[in-house]
Amino acid sequence: MAAAGSVKAALQVAEVLETIVSCCVGPDGRQVLYTKPTGEVLLSRDGGRLLEALHLQHPIARMIVACVSSHLKKTGDGAKTFIIFLYHLLRGLHAVTDKEKDSLISENIQTHGRHWKNCCQWKFISQALLTFQTQILDYIMDQYLSRHFLSIFSLSAKERTLCRSSLELLLEAYFCGRVGRNNRKFISQLMCDYFFKCMSCKSGVEVFELVDDCFAELNVGVTGLPVSDSRVIAGLVLQRDFSVYCPADGDIRIVIVTETIQPLFSASGSEFILNSEAQFQTSQFWIMERTKAIMKHLLSQNVKLLLSTVKQPDLVTYYAELSGISVVECLSSEVVSLIQRIIGLSSFVLPQSSSQCEISNTALVKFCKPLILRSKRYVHLGLISPCPFIPHCIVLCGPVQGLVEQHENALHGAFKMLRQLFKDLNLNYLAQANDQNDTSGPLIYKNTREGNQLPEIGNGSIQRLYQDTVVKNKDELEKTQTYLKAYSNLIVSNVELEACILTPELTPTDTFQRNETPMCLSPEKNRVIDYYEPIIESNSTTNSTTENTRIEISYGSLQVTKIAGKGSMLPVRDKSVDMCTSQSYCSSSMPAGCVLPVGGNFEILLHYYLLNYAKKCQQSEQTIVSIIANALLGIPKILYKSKKGNSFPQIYLRALHALQSNQPVVSGQTGLESVTVKYQLLTSVLQCLAKILTIDLVINIKRQPVKVYDQDSEDELYNTENFC
Amino acid sequence: MSRLEAKKSSLCKSEPLTSERVRATLCVLKGIVTSCYGPSGRLKQLHNGLGGYVCTTSQSSALLGNLSVTHPILKILTTSIQNHVSCFSDCGLFTAILCCNLIENIQRIGLTPTTVIKLNKQILSLCTNYLKSQACGCRISVDFSSTQILLCLVRSILTSKPACMLTRKEVDHISALILKAFLLTIPENSEDHIILGKSIIVPLKGQRVIDSTVLPGILIEISEVQLMKILPIKKSSALRVALFHVSLSGDLSDTGEGTVVVSYGVSLEHAILDQLLNLGRQLVSDHVDLVLCQKVIHPSLKQFLSRHHVIAIDRVGVTLMEPLTKVTGTHPIGSLGSISPSSYGSVKNLCSAKFGSKHFFHLIPHETTICSLLLCNRSDTAWDELKLTCQTALHVLQLTIKEPWVLLGGGCTETHLAAYIRHKTHNEPESILKDNGCTQMELQLIAEAFCSALESLAGSLEHDGGEILTDMKYGHFWSIQADSLSVVNWPDLLSQCGCGLYSSQEELSWSFLRSTHHPFAPQTCLPHEAVGSASSLTVDCLTAKLSGLQVAVETANLILDLSYVIEDKN
Repeated sequence: MAAAGSVKAALQVAEVLETIVSCCVGPDGRQVLYTKPTGEVLLSRDGGRLLEALHLQHPIARMIVACVSSHLKKTGDGAKTFIIFLYHLLRGLHAVTDKEKDSLISENIQTHGRHWKNCCQWKFISQALLTFQTQILDYIMDQYLSRHFLSIFSLSAKERTLCRSSLELLLEAYFCGRVGRNNRKFISQLMCDYFFKCMSCKSGVEVFELVDDCFAELNVGVTGLPVSDSRVIAGLVLQRDFSVYCPADGDIRIVIVTETIQPLFSASGSEFILNSEAQFQTSQFWIMERTKAIMKHLLSQNVKLLLSTVKQPDLVTYYAELSGISVVECLSSEVVSLIQRIIGLSSFVLPQSSSQCEISNTALVKFCKPLILRSKRYVHLGLISPCPFIPHCIVLCGPVQGLVEQHENALHGAFKMLRQLFKDLNLNYLAQANDQNDTSGPLIYKNTREGNQLPEIGNGSIQRLYQDTVVKNKDELEKTQTYLKAYSNLIVSNVELEACILTPELTPTDTFQRNETPMCLSPEKNRVIDYYEPIIESNSTTNSTTENTRIEISYGSLQVTKIAGKGSMLPVRDKSVDMCTSQSYCSSSMPAGCVLPVGGNFEILLHYYLLNYAKKCQQSEQTIVSIIANALLGIPKILYKSKKGNSFPQIYLRALHALQSNQPVVSGQTGLESVTVKYQLLTSVLQCLAKILTIDLVINIKRQPVKVYDQDSEDELYNTENFC
Repeated sequence: MSRLEAKKSSLCKSEPLTSERVRATLCVLKGIVTSCYGPSGRLKQLHNGLGGYVCTTSQSSALLGNLSVTHPILKILTTSIQNHVSCFSDCGLFTAILCCNLIENIQRIGLTPTTVIKLNKQILSLCTNYLKSQACGCRISVDFSSTQILLCLVRSILTSKPACMLTRKEVDHISALILKAFLLTIPENSEDHIILGKSIIVPLKGQRVIDSTVLPGILIEISEVQLMKILPIKKSSALRVALFHVSLSGDLSDTGEGTVVVSYGVSLEHAILDQLLNLGRQLVSDHVDLVLCQKVIHPSLKQFLSRHHVIAIDRVGVTLMEPLTKVTGTHPIGSLGSISPSSYGSVKNLCSAKFGSKHFFHLIPHETTICSLLLCNRSDTAWDELKLTCQTALHVLQLTIKEPWVLLGGGCTETHLAAYIRHKTHNEPESILKDNGCTQMELQLIAEAFCSALESLAGSLEHDGGEILTDMKYGHFWSIQADSLSVVNWPDLLSQCGCGLYSSQEELSWSFLRSTHHPFAPQTCLPHEAVGSASSLTVDCLTAKLSGLQVAVETANLILDLSYVIEDKN
């Protein structure tokens, strides 16, 4: 059927994906083995990898996977939860619309027409979802959920310090979802060790950034040994062997070169003309002498190690060995850039003249020696780091490459997660507050749409449009006002407000009055006034004027932003908005290091508060909010599926009871998880769902993809068919 | 032209271990490895239908390296074993069989993977702790003052590889050679940090095994014609050696990315040859007696050198470069210009030698840790097998130096360990379970599966239909021919246990390995005198076996934990 095609298809896809993903989720999750086209066998519990390995063909599935991977790029976690949550959302939506269909659309509408009508409905829902995501979610997070947050930092005087035990809890919970059961504890201990060895007292986020960016260079995989042989070693391990090794101790200096030290006959783009054999011999002799001189010069500077990104000629290695300089060749540019980042050393430029200039680009290292791991030789370098990162390497052992890679990816993901956790997250809620002074979400949202449409509609039609709006607004007024009450602590200067409001009353009829505010003094006065939304004053006496004013202001500011986008600024108005919003700015963001206990705590809490919120909502919105709230429970349901003592209903009831009686919610499990990551996950899923819902037709084109510059004019769409 | 093709979807299968096909293939693999195990193991002939020679073997490295497995689960299993073998050389079949047994036994129980993995891990740590502890009843410390245990170790390795086709006498000869070669690689004046040298295995196929020998220093194979050309040098003092790693062929070396324009009439080859001859003059004036080059030496230079009684040997190859540097004490020369005198090295003597049909130059060093093991065997495939075995033995000896213990072989460690686990889980289940949320019943089930995996591993040493027994005192392995069980006093027919430590003289009671019997505490703490009396023991390397045990359990856990297999069909 074309009717509910989009959601139905998406639900089917999500259901299949959910069954695959749900068996890898949580502490009882299991491994998935996957092969690459090259024949490599890899292991994973990482949702992102699994979804990619499936090579899905279904267009909606591919869209979901794309959404997941863009989410992963940002946070490095949550792919499995993404799918589960999406599935439950779709299921909820599907169930609701099914019911509606039975009751409402029972009359005989043509199927085609119904399809389009449904699409409009989906679009509406999708926009409502976005509104929820941008406004209500942030509000709930900030107002209710934040009181349950714990911080991973132990707050001493003014510095935030990270204590080992809380990091352990956090990491253990993270690795529960990432590595096999038997290695979980070990890997999280390893990561903890690594973390604390790398951190100096004053290091912060930049360490995570460095480790996250260069993780491939900071670990060495060794196959054939049991996992328990993995360890952290001080210094940097380069995955190369010495071309020349001369044991040295004491003051060891290193240089990095990016070109061959031996001068060549001709550089690229130049010509070398040989006129006689003697000339050839002299030039060869000169080359040799020059190489020798450079080596001698390096030695005089106490350089004992030469790191080269290119292969050096035999002559260079020979003279290096004679001078007692060790050489490591063919280093990758990533390694070199890591070394440069750690010790701040730029690469050595060969002196153009043979004069003995001072080499500035050398750095001191503690040691440099060969390291043998499973009969393969590596270079082990003890860098002295001036930056907050103290270089250490992880040696990862495992019986097979697949397992080693899994652990490597898990560790890398953990650093990504920590990097996110250490950042403050600006909630949209506050940003929105900046503009609108309030979070009366859906109401404002509708105005936004109207604002977009207005410029295109002639003056005549405005009237009618406004009538509609008034009706709609009226419906939502009640809700808005209860909502506003919660915010009465917000103080807005009365003087300003008085100036703003000239709209006295509005009867429930279809008439409306134009708002004539004094600030519209710009040349575009007329237009601006036209854009003004009618203000409805409620009959309820409990509402103070302040509240009404705020609605007004928010409308006004909205208009301003719209108009500003068109190039006409209203400076006066801007100012007033700024003044109004400045007060609510303080409680604006989620501080870094917010965590909650694992085991579906976040989901249950959010579920609870959303349901509470939904009770105050208007009908259509209530449905959406409660669908989201119920979908959230899908995750803890899976987590507690096979638990012996704690079944999901028990946990759920216990948590609800605790919340209602204002007692702290106790979690059955130890371990912490980052709130930031969860929050980002939620927004990503909602965005993805909104995207899915806006699609009304999937057109299947059975043809090779055409390149953009292809000038083929007689393109035809073969086999266009509805995808239902 | 590039062709754009849509990627095919992958194939996703849930619960792979329950599939009949996977079970069948695992069973086949198990059959292959089990039948190869031990001294009486059956040989496998591997040949490729598309060509290549036939390989007869019973070693895991050769076997698994040549087998091509397609199912991802088998791939994980075989690569895991291959990785273990490349680290430790030994105990590949042990690991493979144990892993297969564990998967098979545990699958039969049908507990959830969470419980299985938790308990498997507990039992594994019980085993490793026991094997590392002083109380271990199947571990012997190696006494380096005598060669007895080391010789036993090498001999055990040789006898467990029947595809080498060695007689008893040959086994004795080769094991002595291997031990000698190993001892030659140990530096004499050892400081606190020992760097072992290297034994280079030189192939000599088609000769009798008894002709194999060990020589200190390096053998470089040369053709007979070359040998004729070189005049015998009579020199009492040491010989001066120059070792080049740069090519002396007279090629123009790298000239850079730009263009080089050569005027008409200018011959660069001539110029370079001039340079080479100058180099030759310098070598002669520096009294160099022997010039070795990794790559090619220009014939004119060769001729020039031989005219001045300097021996020139080229095309030595990169593998010999490091040992040559060590033996001669040179710096490999990378320049055609002036050579610093510090780059030269020396050897004590140089002689030519003929082994079989091959001619060699033998560099006799002053004192180094490099030796050459000339290995002979009758056929190509038997030689390959013998070479692999020798490498294994040399590696195992190195590992034993690091961890100076050996485990009892011949199945005794496995049965003893099984008895120990049974006893422990029966008597002190609380200490094993701690508080991991598993019940005693689950522990008993898993422990039984683990023990029977170990016991059937020991049982696969017997390929001739014999019965396996275990004694109720030490928990050792005894085997008896099937038909002799009908004899009334069959215990008299048992002479020795699998490792050869105990004989049936003692008053022992036996029970069949596969039958159920009451758990008993096997005697721990091996008395030292017991080892001294036994002349010939079968022993295994502790390091390799311990790691094999860990890898087997880890791999089994990994495979049991799989919930999906996704195969990319592109």
